[in-house]
Amino acid sequence: MSIELLIPLLAAAVQSGTPVLFATLGELVTERSGTLNLGVEGMLLMGAFSGFFVCILTGSPWLGFVAGGVGAMLLASLHGLVTIVFLGNQVVSGLALTILGVGLADFLGQPFIGQKVAGFSKYALPGLADLPALGPIFFRQDALVYCSYLAAPLVWFLFARTSLGLALDAAGENPKAAKAAGLSVASLRWFGLLAGAFLAGLGGAYLSLAYTQFWTSNLSAGRGWIAVALVIFAFWRPRGAVLGAYLFGGVMAFQLRLQAAGANLPSSLLLMLPYAMTILALIAANLRKGRAGAPAALGVNVEPEE
Amino acid sequence: MRLYAIRRQEPLKWGSCLVFPAALAFSLAFCCLLLAIQGKPPLTGLASLFAGAFGSHHALQDTLLKAVPIFLCALGVAVAFRMQIWNIGAEGQYALGAVGATWAALAFPDAPRPVLIPLMLLSGGLAGGMWALIPALLKVRLRVNEIISTLMLNYIGINFLDWLVYGAWKDPASFGFPMTARFSPSALFPRLPGTRLHLGLALCALAGVAVWLWLSRTRLGYEVKAAGSGPRASVYARMDYGFLVCLVMAVCGVLAGTAGLTETVASAGRLQPSIMAGYGYTAIVVAWLARLNPLSIAVAAFLLAGLRVGVENLQLSLQVPAAFGGILEGCILLSVLAGQFVTGFRFRVERDEGRAETEGAA
Amino acid sequence: MRMFSKLLFLALLALAAFGCAEDKKEPEKKAEPAPKAEAPAAAPAPAALKVGFIYVSPIGDAGWSYAHDLGRKAIAALPGVETTYVEAVPEGPDSERVVTKMAREGANLILTTSFGYMDPTLNVAKEFPDVKFMHCSGFKRADNVGTYFGRMYQARYLSGLVAGSMTKANKLGYVAAFPIPEVIRGINAFTLGVQKVNPDAEVRVVWTKTWYDPATEKEAAKALLDAGCDVIAQHQDSPGPQEAAQERGVYSVGYNSDMSSFAPKAHLTAPVWNWSVIYTYLVEQVRSGAWKSEDIWWGMDKGVVDLAPFGPMVPEEVKAKVAAAKADIIAGKELVFTGPIFDQKGEQKAAAGQTLSDPDLLGMKWFVKGVVGSTE
Repeated sequence: MSIELLIPLLAAAVQSGTPVLFATLGELVTERSGTLNLGVEGMLLMGAFSGFFVCILTGSPWLGFVAGGVGAMLLASLHGLVTIVFLGNQVVSGLALTILGVGLADFLGQPFIGQKVAGFSKYALPGLADLPALGPIFFRQDALVYCSYLAAPLVWFLFARTSLGLALDAAGENPKAAKAAGLSVASLRWFGLLAGAFLAGLGGAYLSLAYTQFWTSNLSAGRGWIAVALVIFAFWRPRGAVLGAYLFGGVMAFQLRLQAAGANLPSSLLLMLPYAMTILALIAANLRKGRAGAPAALGVNVEPEE
Repeated sequence: MRLYAIRRQEPLKWGSCLVFPAALAFSLAFCCLLLAIQGKPPLTGLASLFAGAFGSHHALQDTLLKAVPIFLCALGVAVAFRMQIWNIGAEGQYALGAVGATWAALAFPDAPRPVLIPLMLLSGGLAGGMWALIPALLKVRLRVNEIISTLMLNYIGINFLDWLVYGAWKDPASFGFPMTARFSPSALFPRLPGTRLHLGLALCALAGVAVWLWLSRTRLGYEVKAAGSGPRASVYARMDYGFLVCLVMAVCGVLAGTAGLTETVASAGRLQPSIMAGYGYTAIVVAWLARLNPLSIAVAAFLLAGLRVGVENLQLSLQVPAAFGGILEGCILLSVLAGQFVTGFRFRVERDEGRAETEGAA
Repeated sequence: MRMFSKLLFLALLALAAFGCAEDKKEPEKKAEPAPKAEAPAAAPAPAALKVGFIYVSPIGDAGWSYAHDLGRKAIAALPGVETTYVEAVPEGPDSERVVTKMAREGANLILTTSFGYMDPTLNVAKEFPDVKFMHCSGFKRADNVGTYFGRMYQARYLSGLVAGSMTKANKLGYVAAFPIPEVIRGINAFTLGVQKVNPDAEVRVVWTKTWYDPATEKEAAKALLDAGCDVIAQHQDSPGPQEAAQERGVYSVGYNSDMSSFAPKAHLTAPVWNWSVIYTYLVEQVRSGAWKSEDIWWGMDKGVVDLAPFGPMVPEEVKAKVAAAKADIIAGKELVFTGPIFDQKGEQKAAAGQTLSDPDLLGMKWFVKGVVGSTE
């Protein structure tokens, strides 16, 4: 493949990977604090809707972007209420959250069907955009993609360098010990859940404000589930999340480009590619470095004690 | 003043009898509110919801039939969950089951019903089971996490079904539309005379009883449960952990595959991509809600099916959007989950100044 | 665990009791639904005509179901017509249940608006001989089941004339949902239109395998743009591809309804549906008792399909050319699929002057020469 085709492909990989990246990072934060939230798809859609709604209301895409995060947080707080306060099953609660979020976004979004919003357009970063190869791939995107460049290191920094990150990990790995050390596991899990939901909501807002700039139902089209899978693919590490999201976006963009280039292959087989690649990549990663596990207390509720 | 929750020594007796109706009432009240906001009469709405789900023998039949694929898939994933195998691949196994059964129906169009239907059950179940074995083997041999592999295999399985239906299996008489030729009449499930109820219901009963017996009355079933507490626990068991993983996955695949086959022959009698309706995911909710107990799964599947069927009636009579069903379903699930808390815990209020305790009876 | 099932059973009993209670109350509120499916036909007073619609997606898809719902709203405004609909009904056994329910509740005319409803519609129709069914885009009929569709390919051809006149690269992109005859026919008609004004142009096709995933549709359009296409057409429900074209400063052709508001600088025109024409006709037929099972496949002459208004960038001469072709089509001239037509391999499919028959069109599964892509 020639370089003229490769660069747009990689740029497309970055763009289509971005919503998934936000969602994956969010789920990663949540899971590392010990909460499994399978409601990512619902949070993406609520984020997309709230972002769109606020942007239309105020005319400010940035307010919309933040509102996307807040919308998803509101939805996720239900998950917190059910699982952290009332100790309900995290799997069912997360799935219920998806069902509820998809329904709510659809229901509330009805008056906005087919409406357009003035969201984020491409903005070439001065200086960086002219770098050979890297410029067109990474620095001629929209502002929200640049935000995602900040989000990943931020999450990495949180877990690698701060005591808050350490505490979050403790709540996810060994809540009993965390409690013994004087940490409030419930507060930590609330933080992990809401911070993660905020990130996922940003991913949703990215879909309705930057990637496409109109409202229809089911805008996320299953990307939330991909994010759930990618967290595992990333072995709960931010670096892996970046790799996974861009890889997934890249393979998707690649199969579309293969068709556009006139490859005469059945599209059903091409569409299997991204999913098959994910499994293969996971096998390869497993063979290479041995087992890296989930947070030990992932999905396990912490009961109050006397 | 602080509020504490303490685990009860014993679960609150008949507590769930309070919780479930309360959660239901709460959700329905919320939905009445939503209806009222839209300017629709809330009570008429509720009435048509119930009438559509359980209100007549037609409605009950509809609900029962809708519950069939949900029950089979949920039963399957429950078996895997019992062993802490996080199989979310029922959707793909369902697709493969439909493909397997279709193969039999297309390959032996002239076979009589007593031969063809068992053959379809066999090939459909086998295909679903084999599909489920892939993530099982990946887990056992290559330590690939089953959540990710089953999820990815869902997409691959659905695309595989598409590939067949858009390609090799496309009915030459279908004007190029993506569907297989119609199966011979002997491939269709027999129906109970005078009703729409078909053989799928009997399969459910059979599968339910078999799984219940297996899990609660056999040594192997016990070992599955034991292995659920971790590979270490099963070291002392007769069976190899890897074998058990493969076994529960295969059982789940067979059940989900049977669900796929049921939906294929239930109405159209041909394979179409549109049989994929997300039952594999619904099943996870049902299985957990029923706490992996086969009998409860049957009830939960029936109720959830009733909700979905009833919402159609609500749409018909009041023209509320389909999304309304999702909101209602999500609310009910979340409030049931939250409500289950009171059966296991009691509240204690502790004043700051002393240890004067007031116990809330919840 | 046992407790839980006990509880569920209790709840179930309560529900059933409630349901039965409802059943008893029902006659006060409305006619008992179940046994009286045939009642309206026998009623002496001019009862309202009840028309039911079944949609495959939420009407919020802003595409296919939305266009049908606009048609429904048009007939709902007629005096003496009651409409109802159920949206997002999957095409499997669920649709059979919903159609049955509609028939039982006394609908006189039921419109099933997606191809996958074909067998379920026929199954239900057998049980309700007095209810009229119309299935959109299918090919099977019965005494009380007719079919209807629009000759969208005529509008596609016209949009091809516009697109072919506007391309400079002689490469056009087509974002398409699923390789089914309806879509393939549209791609072929579009390509023939393009080649009519620009014989050297090629049309590249990318399948997304989804009707509504705006982001993927937009991504597919970008893939086509990167491959050098400079006009993007689509057979998708969302305006995603339109946005992609506008961002790159090239032209686009929409679908379903006028999509110009999403890409004012790119949107040349769009082939659009106007289902109300057929629905109004059906209502009149059923009401007058003249309805019979038929195959309605109407085109531009009746106004079922049309072109959205042209964007300001379309030159007058192109407009004139399209207007002339449109007039010819309305006058009944077979412009679109008249030979010589060759397929991708160069095999002749229609000799000069020969026109492809309707069955040929309905079952089209090959691309004409000049299309780059796979039909699978």
